[in-house]
Amino acid sequence: MTVLAGDTWGVPGPVFLRWYLVAAVVLVVGALVYRWRALAGTPVHDGGPLGPQQVAYLNGGEQLAVWTALGGLRRAGAVGVRPDRRLTTGGPLPAGVTPLDQAIHHAASRGLRSRELGRDEWVRRALDELRDGLVRRGLALDKERRATLRRGALLVGALLALGFVRAFAGMSNSRPVGWLMLTLVPLFIAFLLLNRVPWRTRAADRALRELRRQHTWLRPSAAPAYATYGPSDAAMGVALFGTATLWSMDPGFAEQAEIQRQAMGASGSSGSSCGGGSSCGGGSSCGGGGGCGGGGGCGG
Amino acid sequence: MTTGPSGVGIGWRSEIAGFVAGLPGLRFVEVVAEAVAPAGPLPDGLAELRGRGVTVVPHGVKLSLGGAEPVDPARVAHLAGVATALDAPLVSEHIAFVRAGGLEAGHLLPLPRSREAVAAVVANVRRAQAELPVPLALEPIAALFDWPDDELDEADFLTEILDATGALLLLDVANVHANARNRGGDPAALLDRLPLDRIAYVHVAGGAEQGGFYHDTHTDPVPAEVLDLVRELCGRRRPPALLLERDGHYPPAAELRGELDALAAASGYPVVT
Repeated sequence: MTVLAGDTWGVPGPVFLRWYLVAAVVLVVGALVYRWRALAGTPVHDGGPLGPQQVAYLNGGEQLAVWTALGGLRRAGAVGVRPDRRLTTGGPLPAGVTPLDQAIHHAASRGLRSRELGRDEWVRRALDELRDGLVRRGLALDKERRATLRRGALLVGALLALGFVRAFAGMSNSRPVGWLMLTLVPLFIAFLLLNRVPWRTRAADRALRELRRQHTWLRPSAAPAYATYGPSDAAMGVALFGTATLWSMDPGFAEQAEIQRQAMGASGSSGSSCGGGSSCGGGSSCGGGGGCGGGGGCGG
Repeated sequence: MTTGPSGVGIGWRSEIAGFVAGLPGLRFVEVVAEAVAPAGPLPDGLAELRGRGVTVVPHGVKLSLGGAEPVDPARVAHLAGVATALDAPLVSEHIAFVRAGGLEAGHLLPLPRSREAVAAVVANVRRAQAELPVPLALEPIAALFDWPDDELDEADFLTEILDATGALLLLDVANVHANARNRGGDPAALLDRLPLDRIAYVHVAGGAEQGGFYHDTHTDPVPAEVLDLVRELCGRRRPPALLLERDGHYPPAAELRGELDALAAASGYPVVT
């Protein structure tokens, strides 16, 4: 193709395409490298074992952390539920409780319903504290870090928009745009993938996988004898395998307290469980290992 | 192959797998053979115990060695496969029948103690032994009643079967107590007449008195009388291993640990908790 006066924006197609490809590869590869580094995290064994509520937060966000604390308190006999579905306290707090336990116990003493727990001010504060602890340990990502990660996606999005406009202009100009369109497809896929920012690091993924493997005996399908296991085991069951644990441990309480029924699979993903409101970015999407490999293909 | 069962053990059940995994001194567990698929991967908890060198003995409940018809070769093959998969030193089954004429009883049913029954059991045990890669231990079961045509007493019945087959004995101490309590007789006297040197290991389980009978429930605590009988037995000849059987209504961990400790104290074996 020769340079003609009819070139869109005065830039010949092949030239535009060449620079467009260069920009796309640089942006996508840069974003992926940044993301890969940002999501590495710190291995769990550096900071001691994780408690059930920490595990729950990493596995299913705030809502699961609340259910987990409630499960532990219920197993310890510290909370109950009244016929009008409001929570109540069943006894004193056991030793070694977390701030979230205290907040939920306090909320129960005021007769909150289970679904209102996540909006309670004390509970919110305890959840923030829980998340901050996980961020400091390199297991969860704070808002700023997630926003930075989204900026990479934003840049790719801008380039994508430019490409679309160019293609549209080219088409109106009756210029061939096939190669450009072909470039936009993988770029669009990269954009979608980069937009999904997990809220936990790869170190957290590994820790969860390992914990699930160590606690297969808490799987609801094994019909665990919750009477034999203590409150922290019961809480870990909820944290790793969802509220199905609460339902099989104490169906009367779970029903009366309107605990949302949820089972969490064996895979690394957090599946359908995402109840955690805003924090739910999509555990499974974690660009982590596999995703990045695919991304590399885009750059090549 | 791992070493034979030794010391105090507990029946592995998926419901309490986490509790069993947390017993630091444990050397020996038993698993219901029908709960393990020989071809597939082992249940996670069992694989971990095997990795720790814990002996796992498959315990069959559905072979129906006491049935009038020959044992089902497929069931024997399953038991053999489980033994191989677990690298077990022996397997155990009951002297009982669970099906007859194509009907499944769903329970272990006692045999009449007749010469005919001895012959039937011996024939089936030999068939099973021919296919099993490891020795077989036989467990007599509890019975609430005596059959009217019993020709032999419990000790003679067992001894004849063991002598004819060379099988080992899996003695259930709670059953000895139950039989003595329900059918009359002195449990200690029965111990004197059993071939105690043939014991591979013993079962100890909980039970409850109900309606004038002692029921071997496996869901209640081990009563003091049964522990006394364990002491009697160990005083005569201490078996290589004792296994706590619990099949439901699992108590808090502290209670289960207490039962294991009581078993260790009664037998003089090291505590496993």
